Amino acid sequence: MGRAAMRVVVVEDQALLREGMVALLAENEIEVVAQAGDGPGLLRIVDGHKPDLAICDVRLPPTFTDEGIRAALEARRRHPDLAVLVLSAYVEPVYTAELLAAGQSGVGYLLKERVSEVRTFVDSVKRVAGGGTALDREVVSALIADRNRSGDGAELAALTPRERETLELIAQGRTNAAIAREMVVTLGAVEKHVSNIFTKLNLPAGDDDHRRVLAVLAYLRATGGQ
Amino acid sequence: MTDHRPEINLRSVVRGAAFVPSLVLLAALVVIWAATGAGYFWPRWPALGLAIPTALWFAVRRARLRYTGATRWYATQAGVSVVLVCTCVAVWWFSGDSFFWPVFPFVALSALLALNPLAFRPGQRKLELRVDELTRTRSGALDVQASELRRIERDLHDGAQARLVALSMQLGRAEERLADHPDTAALVRQAREEATAAIRELRDLARGIAPPVLADRGLVAAVESLATRSTIDVEVVGQLDHRLPPVVEAAAYFVVAESLTNVAKHAPGASAVVTLHLDGAMLVVEIADNGPGGANTAGGGLTGLKQRVEALDGRLEVHSVAREGTVVWAVLPCE
Repeated sequence: MGRAAMRVVVVEDQALLREGMVALLAENEIEVVAQAGDGPGLLRIVDGHKPDLAICDVRLPPTFTDEGIRAALEARRRHPDLAVLVLSAYVEPVYTAELLAAGQSGVGYLLKERVSEVRTFVDSVKRVAGGGTALDREVVSALIADRNRSGDGAELAALTPRERETLELIAQGRTNAAIAREMVVTLGAVEKHVSNIFTKLNLPAGDDDHRRVLAVLAYLRATGGQ
Repeated sequence: MTDHRPEINLRSVVRGAAFVPSLVLLAALVVIWAATGAGYFWPRWPALGLAIPTALWFAVRRARLRYTGATRWYATQAGVSVVLVCTCVAVWWFSGDSFFWPVFPFVALSALLALNPLAFRPGQRKLELRVDELTRTRSGALDVQASELRRIERDLHDGAQARLVALSMQLGRAEERLADHPDTAALVRQAREEATAAIRELRDLARGIAPPVLADRGLVAAVESLATRSTIDVEVVGQLDHRLPPVVEAAAYFVVAESLTNVAKHAPGASAVVTLHLDGAMLVVEIADNGPGGANTAGGGLTGLKQRVEALDGRLEVHSVAREGTVVWAVLPCE
């Protein structure tokens, strides 16, 4: 069957969403080894099942505030190899900062509704489980807006609209192939955009996808803001 | 700016210190009296002289501290009357008169007290009770409203929005299975995109009612989130080391939100600085921009904010000078 050996746990208090997500992942050959409905449950199943990836909602019982973020950060502290994909009904810069501060490999932060873009979502799940990054486009545009306003927006202004679009997709954690698919251009065109961006922003050229994401994120976050 | 009155305590310390020379003076007089043969105990008269202003001061101070408004004058009158009657009794006692003449000033002062129009205004007491009651119920109503808004926000996220997410997820799965029927797949995709748009609208609505980050992480994080979302450059200066009451946090948040919206609307090229700090038990919020100034300070949005702040016994002021920018300043008590 060629089934990936990826082991995932899903933590979501709304049964409807949790079951839908488990079914969606199963259809895409991702095995959900355990499920839970609250913060303590997340820690319990992570400790018990040692999964590769935990997908969790930000707002969970018992507090219904940011239990999910706190539990995910705690789980990652206990198991540094655990990848964490946080889903939320809303995007907040303070959560982005906290998640990225916990290490930039194997971290994802997406709006809940992205789950409905099945192929992109499954890509994100696989990428994060493999140590990559998946940031919601809203998170990325907030980072870019911050960087833009922080005085040295001149470098960003030097990018062409296509390069800027490419930059956003890189920051979201996408691979060249995924960027080419999204922008409906050839792989070669994407590579050209990428090399232009790295030259214009004075970034160290990264050969692998993940290092490239880190360089772009470090650039975007190198502001006084979040 | 704030009307705390620490100077009353300071003054009472000063007055307390003023008693010491009086006591020293009296002790000296008693020594002189003893040294001169300890005859008629005349130092009682200077003692009485010193005691009268002290007693008057205590009577006035008590009235000032315990009562407000018109009652304060009545309490002052009553206190002064008591001191005067006591003085008369002391003079009668010291002078050894047989006829108890202080009964006349007593009757006269009582009559004056009784004639005070306040004594005939039972409505005054009733009004005060009503003000107390209104103050209490208003703050209760505001607390209830704040927690109701948070409940509505939570219900939107966990109810309607969760269902829409589940719906869009199912549509997404259906779309994947319709790879062989592109027309139907396009229809399903449109439906999914509609659902996603509805989710986004609900999210904006929920944020306008009670931003979740405000409940989760407090005022500074929520204001920083506003700053990030704003189309103008916003710097947030502020550190609050503890959480404030939910109503105060919400009022301060919406003051900042509305002010930043105004700056973005009327001075799109400007930048703004938001300052948050605690001054005693008061939260001070200031939003200053370097726009063209000259804002209409009687605008609808600002009036709404002013009412919101004043409902919490706070104050909101807008200073807008042409070519010097606009400052919105609010102070909110947070006990």
